[in-house]
Amino acid sequence: MAIETQPERAQGAGGGLPAEGGGGRPWWARPAIHTAIVGAVVGYLLGHALGDYLTGATGAANQYPNVPLSDSEDWPIVLGYTLAIIGWLAGLGVFNDILRQMVGRPISGNGRAHQNSGLARFFRYELDHKVVGIQYLVGMIIYFCTAGLLAMAMRTELLSPVNHVFTSQVYIEIVGEHGTMMMMLMTSVIVGPFGNYLVPIMIGSKRVAFPRIEALSFWLTPMAFLILLSGFMLGGFPFGWTGYAPLSIQATVGADSYAVAFGLMGVSVALAGFNIIVTVICYRAPGMRWGRLPMFVWSMVSTSFLFVLAAPVLFAGMYMLIMDRTAQTAFFEDSLGGSSYLYENVFWFFGHPEVYILALPGFGIVSELIPVFCRKPLFAYKVAGAGMIGVSLLSFFVWQHHLFDSGINPDMRPLFMVTTELISIPTGFIYLVALGTFWKAKIRFRVPMLFCIAMYFNFLIGGISGVYLSDVPADTTEHGSFFVMAHFHYTIMGGLIFAFMAGIYYWLPKMTGIKLNEKLGLWHFWIMFIAFNSTFLPLFAVGDAGQPRRVFEYATNLQGLNDWVSISSYFLGFSILLFVINFVWSTVIVREREVGNPWQSRGLEWQVSSPPPADNFDQIPVVLSSPYDYGVKDAQPVADLHPPAGVVTAAIMSADAARVEA
Amino acid sequence: MAETTAPSAMSPAEEEAVYYHEAALNSAWTGARLAAGGMSFLFGCFVFAFFYLKALNSHGLWYTSASRPQLWLGTLIMVLVVASALLQWAVLQMIKRGNKSAWMAGAVVALVLGLAAVVCSILQLMYIPFWPGASGFASVFVGFTPVFLTFAFCAMVWLEILIMRARPIPQISFVEQPPTFAEAFAVQRFQAALSSFTFVWNYLAAVALVAWILFYFVH
Repeated sequence: MAIETQPERAQGAGGGLPAEGGGGRPWWARPAIHTAIVGAVVGYLLGHALGDYLTGATGAANQYPNVPLSDSEDWPIVLGYTLAIIGWLAGLGVFNDILRQMVGRPISGNGRAHQNSGLARFFRYELDHKVVGIQYLVGMIIYFCTAGLLAMAMRTELLSPVNHVFTSQVYIEIVGEHGTMMMMLMTSVIVGPFGNYLVPIMIGSKRVAFPRIEALSFWLTPMAFLILLSGFMLGGFPFGWTGYAPLSIQATVGADSYAVAFGLMGVSVALAGFNIIVTVICYRAPGMRWGRLPMFVWSMVSTSFLFVLAAPVLFAGMYMLIMDRTAQTAFFEDSLGGSSYLYENVFWFFGHPEVYILALPGFGIVSELIPVFCRKPLFAYKVAGAGMIGVSLLSFFVWQHHLFDSGINPDMRPLFMVTTELISIPTGFIYLVALGTFWKAKIRFRVPMLFCIAMYFNFLIGGISGVYLSDVPADTTEHGSFFVMAHFHYTIMGGLIFAFMAGIYYWLPKMTGIKLNEKLGLWHFWIMFIAFNSTFLPLFAVGDAGQPRRVFEYATNLQGLNDWVSISSYFLGFSILLFVINFVWSTVIVREREVGNPWQSRGLEWQVSSPPPADNFDQIPVVLSSPYDYGVKDAQPVADLHPPAGVVTAAIMSADAARVEA
Repeated sequence: MAETTAPSAMSPAEEEAVYYHEAALNSAWTGARLAAGGMSFLFGCFVFAFFYLKALNSHGLWYTSASRPQLWLGTLIMVLVVASALLQWAVLQMIKRGNKSAWMAGAVVALVLGLAAVVCSILQLMYIPFWPGASGFASVFVGFTPVFLTFAFCAMVWLEILIMRARPIPQISFVEQPPTFAEAFAVQRFQAALSSFTFVWNYLAAVALVAWILFYFVH
């Protein structure tokens, strides 16, 4: 169950053993990805048949009143997706332990035969947080590249304002798939791989609080990805990533893929955040006080709180949408007592924290990395932490700025304009911290550091254009144009993805023991940085000149700029291809071992071997000092990895005493 | 809950076992509170939808006399959930005092009451006297009920697991500290999980109470 603690026998190295060891069964009979696929296919067919039966038997196949485009296939499709998800999880063995416990049998995991061995563990419902981190990393790269290819298809279409590669219908399908895939799946692009892999090690823990929940959070993402992609086969969805009603309740069955996939991803991120928060609160090593927590962990905690609190709102919004499309409720149907504005409010109550869900992990990575490459302590540590908490809190109070031009009471505009502008203050803290750290530093311009600097540069442009857009008259002018699109790509791709790349180059030697090729990395960085700016900077001008988003025809006088952008986007795509080549070349073909601490980092994660041992640490470490004491005379080691007997006990006793006192 | 007592001289392996045992106990407590926070935002969406649509009253269709759920059935569901949660809370106090058999009996009754509430909710949806899209109110009611009953059902699965987990633990283990770490840990983890469950189930009972007031009196 959701908040069941795991008995000792269920927790092996790094957080746990496979939920279903498989015993002496042959490989094909053990729960893994192939049984999950079988389960999903069987589940879909059953669900679809059930849906057909229900619509026929109950007469619910009638069209939605006043919404002529709605059709009766929604029930079979939604039930098919739902049972496919259940079948997928059942095939992975997710429910096995729950069922065992229900009949009074002990949970599995006694045998250690399959623990941490071979490539097969990456295709199973594995409970080791390091395996989950790698699963997330590969998954996220696949999802990102798929969505990136869709972006390049869009730019190909926009090469000409009059000659078309796609029909308008196909174009809008591509736009919707690209936007939704990026916004929903990239939510976990840093928390998934780096959060799950590194947070336990960074806080000095051998395990996570809820390994089953952590593993489940990953295994929901492939289904969300496949369900979203399947929308193409169902006619797509013509409303972009925002899914505004009434368009989304009028759209054909492709919209079901959007609602189910997005809702499922909401569940995934809520579970991931839940595990990370509890792990950080309860599993920190002795001496790992809140004031010594690495900045990356602070960012993971801030983001995870947004996950746990905002993602249920997304789930509720998608659920209401599905109910309107299937059970024929009228949440968003004005003529029947509902309101399409209800959807806008619910969606953006999640949607704006989502923006910071994407930004905060990026802040965390760059704040973690710059002291390493500046060889200086992080400037104003507490200010950086306050900045992240401030951004998290304020992100819940700005959502109505998305409604400035779509029905908000005009009297409410100034309030949300002010709250939106206020959020630039804690964001500014992050820049202040960076400036202080850079000041008089002898910076090592290695590939991860270059990506960090680029992140600050890009996010600055995105942030300043965001402050401009928060102003009501400016927003009214630019609303729905490429200007807005350029703004959020500067914050999300320019911020999050550049930080993600910094994280990969920095931590991959830790996660795999293999360093990416530095020369290819430099080529990757410079092409990506130049091509990114060359792609998105002109879009501010294009938007300012009035080109609307999501429309595949535009004024002919804008063709020059659009062509420039499209060609730049191909270079951007090439830079990502270069990264993938580097990734595969370095980790699969060359496999040059890097077992040490290539960046001379003080981070606790770098004090153990690379990749970390099965249990992360031989003994529970005792943290002695800040991870950022670079260049500090007489700085203590960051931790005692082999503390004498009794030290940990003393820490337990003192924690007990504090608890009793409290 | 029994306190963990760490002997003065433990081996590193024992120290580690105690350390992570304490962490697991704290995780149960923290996780339950955090889950309640997340669920508050989920159920809060329906409360928001309720008041938002009520305030807008689009086309005068927020509430019609035809879209009125059965009061007796709604009251029965709420009473069953609240009774189950309060009973579970009461018998939790008994097991804390070492009376396992009283808890077992009470927990089984709480389980039956909870499952009865779930069945009644399903019946209410099956025989609801209005069309789901009849009004804004009807939509919120029909949307909220399946979500709540799913959570209630999952809570009952959890309770059933706890009952099965308690069966092999000897009565005496709840009265005095068991002789080995392994046994003591098993009892303490069970108690931590039970406390967490009771918190979550009582939270859901509060949600049921609020929903009952909203759907049958505030509309």
